[in-house]
Amino acid sequence: MNSQTLPETFRLRAGNFNLLVLRLLDPRPEAVLPSLGDQFRKAPGFLRFAPIVIGLGDLEAAPEEVDFRALVEGLHALEIVPIGTTGGSQAMRHAAQVAGLPPLRPVGGKDAEGDVQMPAPAAAAAPPPATPAAPAASFTGSGRTAMLVAEPVRSGQRIYAQGADLIVTATVNPGAELIADGNIHVYGTLRGRAVAGAADDTGARIFALNFDPELVAIAGYYAVREGLGDAPIGRAVQVRLEGEEMRFEPLG
Amino acid sequence: MAQVIVVTSGKGGVGKTTTSAAFATGLALRGKKTVVIDFDVGLRNLDLIMGVERRVVFDIVNVIQGEARLNQALIRDKRVDTLSILPASQTRDKDALTKEGVQKVIEELSADFDYILCDSPAGIEKGALLALYFADQAIVVTNPEVSSVRDSDRILGVLQSKSKRSEEKREKVKEHLLVTRFDPVRAERGEMLKLEDVREILAIPLLGVVPESESVLRASNTGTPVIMDRESVAGQAYSDAVGRFLGEELPHRFLEPERKGGLFKRLFGGRAA
Repeated sequence: MNSQTLPETFRLRAGNFNLLVLRLLDPRPEAVLPSLGDQFRKAPGFLRFAPIVIGLGDLEAAPEEVDFRALVEGLHALEIVPIGTTGGSQAMRHAAQVAGLPPLRPVGGKDAEGDVQMPAPAAAAAPPPATPAAPAASFTGSGRTAMLVAEPVRSGQRIYAQGADLIVTATVNPGAELIADGNIHVYGTLRGRAVAGAADDTGARIFALNFDPELVAIAGYYAVREGLGDAPIGRAVQVRLEGEEMRFEPLG
Repeated sequence: MAQVIVVTSGKGGVGKTTTSAAFATGLALRGKKTVVIDFDVGLRNLDLIMGVERRVVFDIVNVIQGEARLNQALIRDKRVDTLSILPASQTRDKDALTKEGVQKVIEELSADFDYILCDSPAGIEKGALLALYFADQAIVVTNPEVSSVRDSDRILGVLQSKSKRSEEKREKVKEHLLVTRFDPVRAERGEMLKLEDVREILAIPLLGVVPESESVLRASNTGTPVIMDRESVAGQAYSDAVGRFLGEELPHRFLEPERKGGLFKRLFGGRAA
């Protein structure tokens, strides 16, 4: 009985993470931050509190020209969390480390981070509004769980599928509200409200077997019944965002 | 153990009290020991519909506050001896009701009665919540009209989340749909929701359809539950509903316009005048 060990308090394990890289093209935080801010105002909540790696490889500047502390502070103000750097000269990485951004080594070689692209800085000059959609969908689209509701959703009831898709196999009555961070599927009549992509996923969609809603919204873009225009009411429909436009497409 | 039945609707004026009076009387006429409680404290009406307003001494608030014993407040019906009424207070408000107090009253009544009907006030506030809290079954009274259907839908959601059965994760409250003030002529003309539309949205079993009838108003004014008027279509419809509630298989009647004389002529004539 003496051989009893102390209870384990932690374990160290290697883990691989898919992270976004913010490649700096301009060394001046006062130039980068406003255009980042502009970009995110177009897609409110996009990347909110997302960990991000700062790519230094494209910077043509001396380490002392980059004010990393101001950059970190500015990113935090935009609710983006920089966790380290990648690429760049050793001196540049060292300058970043002093400001609390340790160098990270990409798995599979120096340019591995190039697979993931982020629209914001490069697209700052008049980006087509559709650009935020694709990356948002690509990094939240897969591996999401779903919440299943098999009872009618009644007036005054509100169902929130946090971090998940929402599937309802009954009717959703007027005055009821469905909210999902992911997609919403209604295998019945949708007469209430459906709010998909509530965590600002512009790639989320709404599907209804019989489409007759009071309101639909995706990632903050919404349409009330009056604004549905010539949407195919009473049919099987999918709703998706194309840029800032809401599309209503008959299914089947 | 008595079965506790709440008669509820969300919306006011759809016929909750008329239904409570008729249903309680119908159960009692079939030999069930039945008590009907008015939960509409401050706006009491059930005693009028039951024709006992001149016999009210104590009420449910007096019982809950310990000012009277339960059998001092209970009024025995003079027409059906298995029927009792527990009136509401007219001078107090709904805050005078407490969950513990209502529970005590229901437990005590449970020993002596087969069915305890709770006539809910309109709305989804305290009085309505207390009326449905202890329910085993619910009769949801709905008019074929959009706002009534929506409010009934709302109250069905409340039943699923705020009743004692739901809080204790027991088998859910058994729900029955009772459509009242149904007018087959106007439904056919599209001036009223069709029965199928109401059933499709609320998606609970249909207990009965009570046609719009002058006999209901007459019954209210004379303090005689309409189910005792055997000539009246509304009375017959309520009687059928009670039968179905007790497990009888009865076809739904009075769903089609009557083509000659009778109801059709009366309704049509009434509107043209």
